[in-house]
Amino acid sequence: MTANPNSKGPSKNSVVLEVRGVSKTFYSTLGATVRALQDVNLAVHNSDFVTLVGATGCGKTTLLNLIAGLDAPDEGNLRLSDGLRFGDNIAYVFQHYTLFPWRTALGNVAFALQMRGIPRHRRKPKASELLYKVGLAGFENIYPHELSGGMRQRAAIAQALAMQPKLLLMDEPFGAVDDSTRGELQQMVTELWQENQTTIIFVTHNIDEAIVLGSRIIVFSERPGKIVREFKIDLPRPRNRMTKEFTDLFIQIRQSLSGQLD
Amino acid sequence: MSREEIKSSNSWHWPKLVRWVIGPMMLLFIWQVAAQRFNQPWIFPPVSRVITQLAHPLRQHYASGSLASNTLISLLRVLLGFSLAAIVGVTLGILMGSVLFVRQTLEPVVELLRPLCPIAWLPFAIAVFKLRTLPQLFGIEYSRTIFDQVQLGMIFVIFVGGFFPVLTNTLDGVVGVRQSYLLLAQTLGASPRQTFIHVYLPAALPMILTGLRQGLGLSWFVIIAAEMMTGSDSGIGYLLIYASDNSAMDIVIAAMLIIGAVGALLALSMRKIMYSFISWKGKEV
Repeated sequence: MTANPNSKGPSKNSVVLEVRGVSKTFYSTLGATVRALQDVNLAVHNSDFVTLVGATGCGKTTLLNLIAGLDAPDEGNLRLSDGLRFGDNIAYVFQHYTLFPWRTALGNVAFALQMRGIPRHRRKPKASELLYKVGLAGFENIYPHELSGGMRQRAAIAQALAMQPKLLLMDEPFGAVDDSTRGELQQMVTELWQENQTTIIFVTHNIDEAIVLGSRIIVFSERPGKIVREFKIDLPRPRNRMTKEFTDLFIQIRQSLSGQLD
Repeated sequence: MSREEIKSSNSWHWPKLVRWVIGPMMLLFIWQVAAQRFNQPWIFPPVSRVITQLAHPLRQHYASGSLASNTLISLLRVLLGFSLAAIVGVTLGILMGSVLFVRQTLEPVVELLRPLCPIAWLPFAIAVFKLRTLPQLFGIEYSRTIFDQVQLGMIFVIFVGGFFPVLTNTLDGVVGVRQSYLLLAQTLGASPRQTFIHVYLPAALPMILTGLRQGLGLSWFVIIAAEMMTGSDSGIGYLLIYASDNSAMDIVIAAMLIIGAVGALLALSMRKIMYSFISWKGKEV
């Protein structure tokens, strides 16, 4: 969708996002302080598929929220490439409450188009096409509570894609679905990424998922959230979990997390 | 007791038709027997006389009209007064829920006036509006329609009765909108105005409808009571008190049955409307 070579978007290797020396501390009402992020440095390039992996509560989501502009860092700064704006071409897929319960699948996918003032007769075929793309053809008039968990996340991805995002942020989007569904969804996202080359930052606490999806894996330590290691992965897709490279990588990531993920 | 026995004793119940016929029939039978024993029909009329009244809803009772015409007058008053309460209550509730300044200004006033019984407003309303009617508001002295029976004071009292449940429920609905949906809307590029129309309103709709249902029910209570007060000269509540003054207890009980039936009908129709709107409620995922 965004892979139109004639568009004046950033070129293949240009930096989409630069995170420099970012720290963030939260203060609870009881006076406790939680250092969520400490001196995080990261550069994300165009068409990167970055997976952020680390234990639950290690500050990955905080970083995602800072990138989205939903929160501000205490120290350091984040720079998005020109023209990237949250609510415009930065999309965000959450784990829960990803769809409006009072709208049908089609209505949910068409939401962003409607907000842009695109008339009904033009947004309907567009939204139908996106539903077809995520494997939900025929579910146009179904409400979220009638969809399975995996189908809801498919619809949520279609909803985000309707924005034609240049940067797609995903916060453990498959955290609440069963393993086999998770595998299907991972494959779908891989295919969508290969097709569109949209830059994706994907948060997960699942090492396997991080390896299956990412072109780069950023490993986070726990409290304070710090980047401890980074891996570049060139394994062919769809990735085979049974290869030596895959399992070696798995063990390395597990070791760098030093028992944080149990 | 074996498993089967427990199951059978729990699962057996009257067929629906029987349940809805047998119970009321028994009540009617006891009533009829008691009324015959008591033998003072001006205090305790037999079923047959009440049924006769209900079977002739168009019969004129002296100068006060029929059961049907007075029911229609009460219904019209409620529909007009309640519509006003609904419009003002929903608008103000949304405003209070979304603009903190409005809420902080109005909340003390609302909380002070809310516990006041709507009927207590009636003498004041009659003093202010006299017996002015709706057509007179538009400069028509007598429209020679049922609207001549719609006094502004009555409308005001119904408004007061229906307004507060609508307001408070709408307010709660707007304030209680899940943050996740606001964030989602923001993510998808909704402006504040669009967020209001496409998130706040639909998310608050279940509570708004609950408020409307409660308000309509209360409005019906209030109008009956208001019509029974001095100064009223029409409506099913008025006919009830008029019949009572004339010891026509069969008409009193017929009016009571009609008031109950109309109230139930209003509640049922609101319930139907609600469920068609908000099939998703309680199933958010």
